[in-house]
Amino acid sequence: MSALEISGLSAGYGAADVVRDISISVPAGEVVVVLGANGAGKTTTMRAICGLIDRRGSIRVDGVEIGSKPADVVNAGVSLVPQGRGTLGTLTVLDNLRVGAALRRDRAAIEEDIERWTSVFPVLAERVDQRAGTLSGGEQQMLAVARALMARPRVLLCDEPSLGLAPRIVQHLFATLRDINSEDATSMLIVEQNAELAMDLASSVYLLEVGRVVRSGTPASFREDTELRRAYLGY
Amino acid sequence: MELFVERLLAGVTNGSIFALLALALVMVYRSTGTLNFAQGEFALFSAFFAWWLVGTGLPVWAAVIAGMVAGFVLCAAAERALIRPVQRKSELATLIVALGLFSGLNAAVALIWGTDTKVMPSIVPNGLEDYFELFGARVYGDTVITWVALAAVTILMTLLFTKTELGLHMRAVADNAESAALTGVNTSRILMLGWGLAGAIGALAGSLATPLAPEQLSVTTMFPIFIGACAAALLGGLDSLAGAVIGGLIIGVVEAMVTGYVPLVGGAMQQTTAMVLIVLILVVRPNGLFGSKELERV
Ligand SMILES: Nc1ncnc2c1ncn2[C@@H]1O[C@H](COP(=O)(O)OP(=O)(O)O)[C@@H](O)[C@H]1O
Ligand SMILES: [Mg+2]
Repeated sequence: MSALEISGLSAGYGAADVVRDISISVPAGEVVVVLGANGAGKTTTMRAICGLIDRRGSIRVDGVEIGSKPADVVNAGVSLVPQGRGTLGTLTVLDNLRVGAALRRDRAAIEEDIERWTSVFPVLAERVDQRAGTLSGGEQQMLAVARALMARPRVLLCDEPSLGLAPRIVQHLFATLRDINSEDATSMLIVEQNAELAMDLASSVYLLEVGRVVRSGTPASFREDTELRRAYLGY
Repeated sequence: MELFVERLLAGVTNGSIFALLALALVMVYRSTGTLNFAQGEFALFSAFFAWWLVGTGLPVWAAVIAGMVAGFVLCAAAERALIRPVQRKSELATLIVALGLFSGLNAAVALIWGTDTKVMPSIVPNGLEDYFELFGARVYGDTVITWVALAAVTILMTLLFTKTELGLHMRAVADNAESAALTGVNTSRILMLGWGLAGAIGALAGSLATPLAPEQLSVTTMFPIFIGACAAALLGGLDSLAGAVIGGLIIGVVEAMVTGYVPLVGGAMQQTTAMVLIVLILVVRPNGLFGSKELERV
């Protein structure tokens, strides 16, 4: 069964839909990548899934239809690492992590998770009491991932996690995502514009153009297509 | 010396009221980034409500608490029903709605309770003999209660923001409402709560201020207090609790000294002092003494 099953999703800002009739399936424990040029509607799709904007269509987690409020989505086990990182800049790194656990009541386990993610991301451990706004871009991206993981999601959504980061940091980030995926069997839906690294983790890839899914398949099938490779993989 | 101490204590007492209302302004500013121009009139409405309850035979302390509850409900409802729908559109629209609330609440008070002056009794014994001496100056009960109230509210708010999960969520929403929502924080509830608490604190300020106010309780009682509170909040940096308290005390003392020692300015010109201070702060130090500067990498 799919961990996350999006079918017939439409959403936008105001009158016109920006994305129409999107269907994406994330099999349990696997990583799915969504490719698309700037403005294709990737972020809009993510925001619609998380209940930040109104949507139509069906979203199921483990076969169960989820509610449309952001808290319903988190409670259903879906967490987003937003584009731009969404850092709570005036709060400390530790408080950022605590906010990530906003809906949880298992205090002891929350402390364990803080321990865990600060050891997975040692740059955060050194800066727990520092204001998050003073972190570098790469550190803020790690914090955004850790904050989302504090909700113990079944499905982790990442919106352009590599944007604006140095290649070395992007590699470290994807290596960490791979570890989390294999250790916890956390399913992932990762949006990227330039997605060679993300493709290495993926079991399937979707291509978004002007608000629609125009193609889907295995990473290999995308790599074989010269045109797609040039446009989205950059070689 | 005795006169100086008397003026100093009067300044601290007025300053405590400014500080309380300034704390309400900070509360709103931190939750929605709005300077609530109607905060003083919310307090006025709540104080009149408390006065009316005293008239029905309720003990003063119970009426003050009921006034705080009314202030909470009124402010929370205003945030949800009037402020939030326009907030997304523009800051100017929010400002205009706040000004509309200012005159609307003032008119509602006049309509319901009339424009004549009322006598709001003090929450503590406040007779001519109910005082103790401090460096030769007499300190009365209604003076002490404002100091105690300010200390209590400051401590409770500090604990709320630094020690509780609710306070953490309030800080998160103030910082980045969308990120907070993405973790499941109910941002709508938090915003209403922020405004509601501000309404309750303002109501306390209004109920405590009126026994001290020379003209007792009337439709114009809260305006000079609001001006003082604005100066205090600005001086403190708008988003700092400690700043609001220290700002309030400074404004109160400066006003009392100017009124007492500068012959030309005199008692009738009290508000002018606060106004001049507001302009000075905005020109010289727009972030106030304690305002947090933007400290973020993009
Ligand atoms: N807040 C918004 N209001 C109106 N239109 C928006 C908003 N955000 C994005 N759009 C529009 O929606 C389209 C898709 O944007 P987006 O989902 O951000 O694309 P992507 O993430 O794929 O780069 C673009 O044409 C963009 O201009
Ligand atoms: Mg995007």
